[in-house]
Amino acid sequence: MPLLEDKDERFKNLFGKSAIFILVATIGIALAFILVEIKHGAFTAMSPIHFVADSGTDLREGMPVKFSGFKIGKLNQLTLDELGNVQVEVSIDTKYLGLIRQGAVMTLKKEGVIGDGVLEISRGVENKPALKAGGLVSFKREVGLEQAVVDVKNRVMPILDELYDTLHNPQGDVHQTLKNLRQFSTEMLETRERIDRMLDSVDGTLNQDIGPMLESLRKSADSAASLSESLDRELPDLLLKADETMDSLHKASETLNDSVQQTAPQLPGMIEEANATLGKTQGLVGDTQEVVDSLNSTWPFNKNASKHDDEPIRMDSHD
Amino acid sequence: MIRRLLFLTLAFIGLTACGSTPETRSSEMVQAQEADKEARRALRDGQLLRAQRGFNKVLVLQQSQDNVSGSATTMVNLATVAHQLKEHDAALTWLDRIVMENPNIYPVELQLIAAFRKSVMLADLSRIGEADSSLKIAERLCDKSCTQKLGLDVLRARLLLLNGNIKDALSLAQTVSSNSAAGMSEQANALRIAATSEEKLARYEEAFQHFEAALETDKALGFSERIAADLNGMARVAKQLGNEREAEEYSKRALIVQESLRQIDSSSRK
Repeated sequence: MPLLEDKDERFKNLFGKSAIFILVATIGIALAFILVEIKHGAFTAMSPIHFVADSGTDLREGMPVKFSGFKIGKLNQLTLDELGNVQVEVSIDTKYLGLIRQGAVMTLKKEGVIGDGVLEISRGVENKPALKAGGLVSFKREVGLEQAVVDVKNRVMPILDELYDTLHNPQGDVHQTLKNLRQFSTEMLETRERIDRMLDSVDGTLNQDIGPMLESLRKSADSAASLSESLDRELPDLLLKADETMDSLHKASETLNDSVQQTAPQLPGMIEEANATLGKTQGLVGDTQEVVDSLNSTWPFNKNASKHDDEPIRMDSHD
Repeated sequence: MIRRLLFLTLAFIGLTACGSTPETRSSEMVQAQEADKEARRALRDGQLLRAQRGFNKVLVLQQSQDNVSGSATTMVNLATVAHQLKEHDAALTWLDRIVMENPNIYPVELQLIAAFRKSVMLADLSRIGEADSSLKIAERLCDKSCTQKLGLDVLRARLLLLNGNIKDALSLAQTVSSNSAAGMSEQANALRIAATSEEKLARYEEAFQHFEAALETDKALGFSERIAADLNGMARVAKQLGNEREAEEYSKRALIVQESLRQIDSSSRK
């Protein structure tokens, strides 16, 4: 009889009990692991697909592959081949492979404006056969916000350069418009002189017939001259504004290179400012045109307006 | 007792004075006046569409202020602009809104002006019967001393002439042409009607004199289209009088006036 015989009933078959506990725990852990792996698709039949990327930027292993918004696979492997190209292998759930046809394009895009990158595979060409495991698809990168900002910058810059040129170039539209206007007013005066000369050469009665029109012509020439003076006054302010806009643009373009997040909020303001300046220029040119247009018809109407603002415009029995 | 009454009276006056606020022009009224000035300026410059937009804005502002008289004036102005834009239906509709309103809330003077203008526009469109009806409304609204009386008479003479009632047209036109109160413009119109009537009655010498008188006034006023009409009338009458060379000369002058008008118009469009 052993000296230290365990008389406590609780310790009977302790080894067996411990073995069962460890076995159950192990099975539990194994089941949990298996379930997790099933969830992660470890036991799903996957088919490899390949594509060649221009660079590995923004591509990473484990990156999801989506089809019509659903995750159907992931990026398996990124390798650099002997030619320096990035060989990419993605695994696609075999049951979805039949949905993708040859000619499909793998696109790297962002989820949301600043979200993670995902690979999105397109459906392919409709009448072509389904893509097979190990097949090759083409690859492209979607234009991201950064690229979009650069694109906008590339579009806005020439417009503002053109605007700058328009305002500052002596041969530009604004200067030319002013010049044309001055020429126009000079021509108006010359026309008046020609008519005066013509009238001198005919009899006095005829001179009286055309007298009212000549008076109108003189008024038109005066209007043209006053417009020219008005433009001379307003142009320096406009040029100053254009300079300010150009400075703002250069500052903004420097910021553009720093980061998309910093630039994106500034872009609308920059465009707005450019538009405002463009609008002002168009307004100025529009005003010029309006005044020139008004010369067309000043004469017939200048007698219609009432001198008293609270009375109806004058008309007689033959108007 | 008297002191108490005096105190109460003073208190009442004081409270009344505190309660009344000085009359200020509302911002809508100021905006309407500014827009009206702008629209009239646009019309003066021949920018009809801009004037039309401006007067529309004025009308909205005036109606928001319940400015009945101002609204009627602006509607007449809108009709005038529409007429110049050749939007005849729109012009007549604006005027009908004043003339046909029942019960009529607009001042009589503006009803008269609207009916008169409607009649002129209808006469321009050769809708003589309707012009006559509208003129009758204007005549009914005009008492003997109304400022438009002589203008209405000239229009009446014009309608009579268009209706072939030449003698009555001549009689009425002669009456107005000799009345300086009609104003130079209406006097010249009356002289032209008288001359045309006399031409139709084969009274060529008198017709020539009246066309000549109308020409002098139209020259002074600078109405070139009317100058051309006078010269053409003189040419027709001179021909009837057997003065072929003179007729040719007047025709040539009329042609030069019309051509000058055309050239001014085309040169300013370049």
